[in-house]
Amino acid sequence: MNTMKNLSVNRDATWHLDQPYNARHLLIAIFFFVLLAVTGSRMEVPRMLQETAQGLGYAVGLYEESSVATGVKRIAESIWPLRISEEIEVSRIENFDRNNLPWLSHLEIIESRTPHLNTETLKLEDTVESKEMLVKPVGYLAHVLFKMMETLEMALWGTILAVLLSIPLACFAAANYAPNRFIYNLARSTISLFRAIPELVSALFLVLAFGFGPIAGFLALGIHSAGFLGKFYAEDIENADRGPQEALQSIGAGKIKTLWYGVLPQVLPQYIAYTLYILDRNIRMATVIGIVGAGGIGLELKGRFDMFNFDHVGTILVIIFLTVIILDQFSARLRSRLM
Amino acid sequence: MLRFDSVYKRFPDGTEALRNISLHVPKGQFCVVLGPSGAGKSTLLRMLNGLSQPTEGSVYLAGELISEQSVQRLRRKVATVHQQFNLTPRMSVALNVLSGALPQVTHLRAGLCLFPSSLREKACHLLDEVGLTPEHVSRRVSELSGGQQQRVGIARAFMMDPAVLLADEPVASLDPRISRGILELLHRQSRNHDTTVLCSLHQPELAREFGDRIIAVNHGRLVFDGTPEQLTDKVCEELYHGALNREHGMSETAPSASESELELAAA
Ligand SMILES: Nc1ncnc2c1ncn2[C@@H]1O[C@H](COP(=O)(O)OP(=O)(O)OP(=O)(O)O)[C@@H](O)[C@H]1O
Ligand SMILES: [Mg+2]
Repeated sequence: MNTMKNLSVNRDATWHLDQPYNARHLLIAIFFFVLLAVTGSRMEVPRMLQETAQGLGYAVGLYEESSVATGVKRIAESIWPLRISEEIEVSRIENFDRNNLPWLSHLEIIESRTPHLNTETLKLEDTVESKEMLVKPVGYLAHVLFKMMETLEMALWGTILAVLLSIPLACFAAANYAPNRFIYNLARSTISLFRAIPELVSALFLVLAFGFGPIAGFLALGIHSAGFLGKFYAEDIENADRGPQEALQSIGAGKIKTLWYGVLPQVLPQYIAYTLYILDRNIRMATVIGIVGAGGIGLELKGRFDMFNFDHVGTILVIIFLTVIILDQFSARLRSRLM
Repeated sequence: MLRFDSVYKRFPDGTEALRNISLHVPKGQFCVVLGPSGAGKSTLLRMLNGLSQPTEGSVYLAGELISEQSVQRLRRKVATVHQQFNLTPRMSVALNVLSGALPQVTHLRAGLCLFPSSLREKACHLLDEVGLTPEHVSRRVSELSGGQQQRVGIARAFMMDPAVLLADEPVASLDPRISRGILELLHRQSRNHDTTVLCSLHQPELAREFGDRIIAVNHGRLVFDGTPEQLTDKVCEELYHGALNREHGMSETAPSASESELELAAA
């Protein structure tokens, strides 16, 4: 009896359960609805929906015409078949050695007929022009793969640069290892600045400084991703278990040795995971960064796109797509093994 | 060897962890610190390795004041066996023990993990003394049992031939047999190396058995200081009973009568 009494001390309390929503929630909902309506109309969402619907209608035969569908069709037709081979006019090759053709290539005579008006007979006549061409059956594919290789190297060096930059930055940007307040703030703001500059923008300027090519590309990638790695590394240093660090500190081991023996072993698996993620991201970014002239496959893509060589563009896109898929598989496997 | 001069420690949140501690521990003594949980034992020990600074008063080590300038140098004479072991997880037993000698090696050697062979031999010797076997050496410490980890911690503490050893509850959470083994080890090690030991414990029986001298703290005050014989069962009961009172918020401010009695008993 006594215990019962103790358990129900609050017998006189008045209970009531609120509804889950109130006027405030309604106001918030209206605000978001208005926001969506305004931004949606600015983004031309209705036109997008209408034209997409038209395109789909055209595909199943409901509509006579659709600008979207014709656009897609034209691109698809010009992309297919993909460009695999490469043909070069022999007369344009310097120091051409007929007896020593490059690997996997052969010569072909290609005749081209151009109709033109004979001024005497006033009839259309065909003039036959024959060119000797050097044909490399997988020449273009090899070229794209080579460019892809360069892209991967750019990503690799971008990541190496990022790691090298971010390790010292992270040590200074970790509150418990920064030598003083000023250096701490300096390191923090450098990291934020690095992160705030998009690769495509810094690459534009770096191309001006270093010229077209991979240098601008990997510098831009490295600087931007150092912003991420520095932040991640610093946070891990700050959150590492203090115990081992105190143990080393209490015998007077000094900051550097404490970091090396008390922190690094704790955070290493995380560091590897972050770095792999950044490498993965840099590879995807490296494929497009060439568009501003910073080397790699993007440069080739941009050039072919500007010349309307959509079959070449198709090959490039397929190679990018396959590379990203393969790397995804690879890094997922690597990560699961390291964890 | 160790001297506390009316030391106070107040944490920023207002907790008074140490109040007016004055204490002198001569060289080579094995001094046990008793006291209920939260009494201030860890705080007391952390004054000596510079992990915590007194708010008031001063602490001397080998006759030298522990200050911001001297702490880095004085620390090399002090080794600590930490309450939570404080070993680096994911690092091998070998490196954990060797890391106890880090102040002695150059940055280059430390960075490459290339310890001089004299240190490596010493580490093997110490690991053998604390009763670990060669197959433990390459394991990660997280793959050892609690008792084995504690022994790694002890081996690490002796890497620098410390003049002072601080052992913070070296046998908490260990079974009675291993507890005894570890304390015997500490006792023997300190005898062999002529080390001054300050060791906090929760078991009065063990304190009586191993201590040359026993002190007790409660609410951050020194409430007992005497020989093992002077630590009678009655004194122990009062010591831990005081803690019970405090847990229930009954003697939050003024020191209770039992404490003054304790001090009388010690005198
Ligand atoms: N960093 C801190 N900030 C605030 N209060 C603290 C801090 N460290 C310890 N304390 C407080 O100081 C008092 C003494 O703590 P201490 O760790 O010295 O106790 P202890 O005697 O070692 O206890 P245990 O036997 O449980 O290890 C406790 O009340 C604790 O809550
Ligand atoms: Mg403690």
